[in-house]
Amino acid sequence: MLEKECIQARGFRNVGEGGQVVGFQVAFRSMYYRGVWLSQLRPATVIVDGETFSGDQITWTIGGRTFAQAELAQHADIHWPLLEPAVLTVRKPGGLTQGFHDVEVQYHYSSSYMPPAMDELMVTFMGGPTKRRLTLV
Amino acid sequence: MANPQPASRKPKRGVSLYSYSGEYGVTMTIEDMFADIHDLGADGLEILGNSHIDGYPEPSDAWVENWFRLLAQYQLKPVEYGHWVDSRLYPGRELSTQESYALLQRDIKLASRLGFPFLRTKLGVIDDDLTPVTNWREFITLALPLAEEHNVCLCPEIHTPTVLKSKMVDDYVEFIEKHKTKHFGINVDFSVFQTNPLPMWEGQDLSTLKFSPVEDFVPLLPYTPICHAKFVNMSEAFVETTTPYDKILGLLSEHHWDGYLLSEYEGPHKDVPGYSSSQLRRHHILLKRLLGER
Repeated sequence: MLEKECIQARGFRNVGEGGQVVGFQVAFRSMYYRGVWLSQLRPATVIVDGETFSGDQITWTIGGRTFAQAELAQHADIHWPLLEPAVLTVRKPGGLTQGFHDVEVQYHYSSSYMPPAMDELMVTFMGGPTKRRLTLV
Repeated sequence: MANPQPASRKPKRGVSLYSYSGEYGVTMTIEDMFADIHDLGADGLEILGNSHIDGYPEPSDAWVENWFRLLAQYQLKPVEYGHWVDSRLYPGRELSTQESYALLQRDIKLASRLGFPFLRTKLGVIDDDLTPVTNWREFITLALPLAEEHNVCLCPEIHTPTVLKSKMVDDYVEFIEKHKTKHFGINVDFSVFQTNPLPMWEGQDLSTLKFSPVEDFVPLLPYTPICHAKFVNMSEAFVETTTPYDKILGLLSEHHWDGYLLSEYEGPHKDVPGYSSSQLRRHHILLKRLLGER
């Protein structure tokens, strides 16, 4: 089962490449009541202890496939299921230190039965900013 | 027995899994929700394709097999399948008629495979008044033969702030009449009848709150094969405090309307374990009383 909070404690970790720590990952679940297609997602922003990451610093992994944020808009064929947390991989050479971190994820998506202007709003029932204090092991 | 007398025809009880959206995947599984609905003595089920089908839009054979096993075990009938024609699927443009038709084909086939006779077809909108996309007639017309082949009915939902006497509803009725079709209808969501505020809204300006008089439902009954029995606040006296359920169900019974009422809880505290379930239990006491069920 999923954790009740949007940002999941499980999945918060540094990631390595060729023996070097190149960044970290944070997993979060959709708080919407229906799954969305990747092309409905807008690029996310991650803020850790006041440091902001966005754009091509972040990739999304859903269903075992990883996408650059700029690619999301093309993938109307990939569905983000409600029961699967999305994993954001954030490039940060050296990663994060062991211990506590205040993590915020800002994300949102379009929903065609709502007024069009709402597609670009960061409101809580359409995704929105979400924060949690996490522990890196 | 095949053709019951009109007097014995009355609304049937079902539940939309949307009611459990605050708990699904966190404190409840699909099977928990099925068990909960069965325990209400309700036998109709609404799911949302995008939400409740593992592997949507291409579930595995094993998932489908388990789907039918669960339906049998909990004695539930698939009634309505919620899906979306997400017109703004791609940023910056609207779907073409052919693209929209392709989405309809996908969901009609999947709904039919899972045994659903009705689809709650949510259309994209173009303004703050929720006017549907301008090409809806074109892609619905394209889909009608497939709907007929699978014997399903596509039903856009009429939901607040839309009212029953509106151009949107008139347009849908005109379309149904023009095509003389049984494969397109409307799902009237009882939010259109909400006359009282939720306790949490008290003190706020509600002068812009629009609602339909229950009597406005009468001319639309022939076009309404299915309803969302929307509720947001069931009191401990088993009264829905925002919506005149007694009048609505009285009208439906009087007109021998015998479709499914799908309970849809959309009130507060959906993420509190057990809260939606307890609201549903109260709601089905209300429905049973008004329908004269023991």
